[in-house]
Amino acid sequence: MPILEYLSYGFIQRAIITGAFISVLCSTLGVLLVLRRLSLIGDGLAHVTFGSVALGLLFGVYPIYISLPVVMASSLGILKLMERARIFGDAAIGILSAIGIAGGVMIASLAGGFNVDLFSYLFGNILSISIQEVYTSIVLSLIVLTVIVFNYHDIFSITFDEEFAKAGGVNTQKLNTMIVLFTAITVVLTMKVVGIMLTSALLIFPAVTAFQIARSFKNALLMAGAVALASVVIGIFLSLFFNLPTGASIVIVNAAFFGVAFIFKHTLRSGHD
Amino acid sequence: MLFRKIVVACAVLCCVVGISCQKADNTPSTGETHKIRVVASLFPLYDFIKNVGKDRVAVELLLTPGVEPHSFEPKPADVLNLHHADVFVYTNKYMEPWVADIIKGIDNNKTLILDSSKGIVFINNEDEDHEGGHHEKEHGHAGMDPHIWLDLGNAVVMVDTIRDGLTQKDPAGKEYYQKNAEQYKAVLKDLDDKFRQGLSKCTKRTFINGGHLAFGYLAKRYGLTYVSAYGFSPDAEPTPGQLVKISRLLKEQGLKYIFYEELLAPRVAETLARETGAQLLFLHGAHNISKEEFGKGVSFAGLMEKNLENLEQGLQCR
Amino acid sequence: MPVKLVNIENLSYRYNSIDVLSDISCDIVAGEYIGLVGPNGSGKSTLIKLMLGLLVPTSGSVKLFGHPPAAMKYRERIGYLPQKMNFFNPYFPSTVKEIVSLGLVSKKKFPKRIGDSDEATIDRTLEMLNIADIKDKAIGDLSGGQQQRVFIARALVNDPELLLLDEPTTALDPETRENFFEILRRLNRDKKVTVVLVTHDTGTIGKYASKLLYIDKEIVFFGDFDEFCMSGDMTKFFGPSSQHLICHRHGMNILTVKQRPNND
Repeated sequence: MPILEYLSYGFIQRAIITGAFISVLCSTLGVLLVLRRLSLIGDGLAHVTFGSVALGLLFGVYPIYISLPVVMASSLGILKLMERARIFGDAAIGILSAIGIAGGVMIASLAGGFNVDLFSYLFGNILSISIQEVYTSIVLSLIVLTVIVFNYHDIFSITFDEEFAKAGGVNTQKLNTMIVLFTAITVVLTMKVVGIMLTSALLIFPAVTAFQIARSFKNALLMAGAVALASVVIGIFLSLFFNLPTGASIVIVNAAFFGVAFIFKHTLRSGHD
Repeated sequence: MLFRKIVVACAVLCCVVGISCQKADNTPSTGETHKIRVVASLFPLYDFIKNVGKDRVAVELLLTPGVEPHSFEPKPADVLNLHHADVFVYTNKYMEPWVADIIKGIDNNKTLILDSSKGIVFINNEDEDHEGGHHEKEHGHAGMDPHIWLDLGNAVVMVDTIRDGLTQKDPAGKEYYQKNAEQYKAVLKDLDDKFRQGLSKCTKRTFINGGHLAFGYLAKRYGLTYVSAYGFSPDAEPTPGQLVKISRLLKEQGLKYIFYEELLAPRVAETLARETGAQLLFLHGAHNISKEEFGKGVSFAGLMEKNLENLEQGLQCR
Repeated sequence: MPVKLVNIENLSYRYNSIDVLSDISCDIVAGEYIGLVGPNGSGKSTLIKLMLGLLVPTSGSVKLFGHPPAAMKYRERIGYLPQKMNFFNPYFPSTVKEIVSLGLVSKKKFPKRIGDSDEATIDRTLEMLNIADIKDKAIGDLSGGQQQRVFIARALVNDPELLLLDEPTTALDPETRENFFEILRRLNRDKKVTVVLVTHDTGTIGKYASKLLYIDKEIVFFGDFDEFCMSGDMTKFFGPSSQHLICHRHGMNILTVKQRPNND
C-alpha cells in the first residue's frame, strides 16, 4: 500500500506534523485578522521580510536577526496607522508591502547579488522542513494558541467591538499589540518553513470559509482550524497520489473548501437575506 | 506651502534623473582605444572570451556576480551597455529568453550579436529517456536544455564561434585570436580527457542533484545517468512523488552522495540527504559565480576541475 | 451625602482643529436619571466617551467613580451602550448569547470563564428584553430592532450601577421602546441605577428623566426638567413657543422647533 510507504519518509512526516500545527496557528490568527480587515497583512509582512532579509544578507548578519525586529516593527506601524483611521489599515499594509519589496530589490541590486538566491533563501517549502523547524513551529503554535485561549473573551471582545471592550476595562492596547506582533512572528517563521504562498493562504482561506457557515465566534474559530487542518492533510495526500506540488495542492484544497461552503450557504440558506 | 513642496520635489527628481543619465553616459571606456568592447551574458562566455581575446578585448559580464541567472532581467543600464558594445555574446535563446526583445533595439552594424549555440545540438528533454525533473515551460520552448556549456565538446564549438566573431569585428587580430583559441581549446580538450578517464572507472553511474536540471549535457557526454529534483528552472516546487522517487533511487543504487549547486539554497538537497543519510557534495553549474569567486578570479576550467573531483568522490570512482 | 459617580471639570475636547466640547463642568450624582440632549454634532457622544476614557481630554479633567478614566477602575459597575452606527459589522459570526456575555467580561478576573451562574444571568437579561428565543441566532440574521435589544442586553447584563446609553431607542419600534423605558424606570427607581441617556428625543425623555443636560459644545442647561421649562436661558435659546410645546409634554422634538444647522 503506497500510503504506508510514503508515510515512512521523514520529510513527509515532518510535512504533516508541521503543516498541522502551522495550519491551526495561521487559521486562528486569520480569523482575528480577517474580521479586522487586515487580511492581506500576511502578504504585506512577507514583503517586508523580503526587504529585511536582503538587508541582513547585505550586512552579513543571519537574516532572521534582522527580519524579526523589522517585521515586528512594521506590524506595529500598521497598528498605529489603523488607530488613526480604520480605512488606512489596508493602505498601511500596501505601503509597507511596496517598500519592503522595492527595498529588497534595490538592496539586492546595489549589493550586486548575494551568494544565494534571495528568493530561494526566503521561501521555505513544506517538503524540505528540518527537525529544528518542526520544533520551532510546534513551540510557536502552542505559545500563540495558548495565549489566545487564555485571553479568549478579551480577544473576542476587542475583535467584535473594540470601544465597548475598552469601556469595560479590557487593555485593548496590550492585546492589539500582542496580536499584531504574534502575526509578525508567525509570518516570518512560517514563511521560512512552508513558504509565503502557504502562509498567506492559511491566514485567509480557512477563516473566510468558516465565516460562510459558522454562526458563533467559537464555531468560527473551531471550523477555521478544522478546515485548515483538513486542507493540509488532504493536500499532502493529493500531491502524493497525483504527483503535484504540495504547497499549491494545499492552497487549491483550501479554495475548494471555500467554494463548497459558499455554495452551501447560498443554496441551503437562500431563504435569509 | 504645498506648492513650494511640489517645486522642491520636482527639483530633486530632476537632479536624480540628471545624475543617473550622467552615469549611464559615462560607461567605462576601454582604456586603450584599440580594444574591442565585448559584453558576455553569462560567466562561461566571459571566461572563454577572456581566453580568446586576451589583450585585444575588454570584456564585461552582464550578469552581476551572485545573481541567479534563470530569473535575471536586464535593467536599463544593462541595455544601454549593450548598445555601446562592439560585440555581445549570449548563450542561447533558451537560457536568455530576454535577449530576443533587446536584440530588436540594437543596431546590427554597430554591435555584433553572437549566439554562442551556433552549430550545437540541443538536448531535448522530452525526447531523451531522461529521468527526473518536470519540464519547465519557462524558457519559451518546452523541454530544451539550455545548459550547453557543461558539455566540454560544446564548449570547444563555442570557443570557435567566439573566435570567429572577434575576428569579424577585429580582422587585424585574426592570427592572435586563432592562436589563443587553439591554446584554450587544448586546455578544454585536456580537461575533457581527464573527465573521461576519471569517470570511466566509477562504481556508480548515476548522480543526483538536489537542485535544478543543469547537468544533462555533462551526464550525456560521459555516459552517466543524471537525476535532479527540479526542472530547468529553480522556481518550481519538487513534488513529493519526485522526492520519494529520488530517495528510493539513492537507496537502491547505494549512492552515498547527493549534489547541490551554486546560488541556490540547498534545502531540497538537505532534505534528501537527511532522508537517506547521504552526504552533500557541491557541483558548480558555472552559470554565474559569487562575488567572492569573481574577486578571486576563478576560471571556468577551474570550476570544472573541482566538479570532476567532487563527481569522482560522489560516484565513488577512486 | 450624595455620591458623585462622575465629576467633570472644565472639560474641553478639540479634534482636527474643531472645538467639540468647550469648558464643560458638571457632576453626575448616584441615582439620577439624566437625559443628555442636544443637536447633531453637539458633542454628546464625545462626552460619554470622555467619561469612559475612550477619548483623552484636550484640557480639564474627568473622574469616574473618583478616579481618572485612564485608570480603568470599577468598569464592572458600568453598563455602556455605544451609538450603533460606529462599529457594527453585521456579518461578524457571533450569536446573541455570545455578544451579551461580553457584557460580563468586565466583572471577570483572569482567566475569565463564563460559568453556569453567568448563563442564568444572561438568560434572565435576555428574557427581560424579550429576546430569549433568539439567543442562539447569529446577530446578522436579526432585524435592526432585535440587534439593538441585544446591545441593550449587553449593557445591562452585568447589573451595573451606572448606565451610559448612547441613543438606545433609535431602531426600536414603539412597543419595544415603551418596554425599554419601563425597564430603565424600574432600575432607576428600585435599584437606584444611575442612568445617562443620550437622545435626540427631548420630548420623550422629559417623561422619564429627572434631569436634563443640554449640550451644544457647552452646557446650555443642566438641571431639573421643570427648571428647564421655567428657565430664562432656555427661553432665550429656544424661544417661548418651543418651551411651551415641550414642557406641556406635547412630545415635540425641540430640534424641529428651532432651526439648527446640521453640524455633522
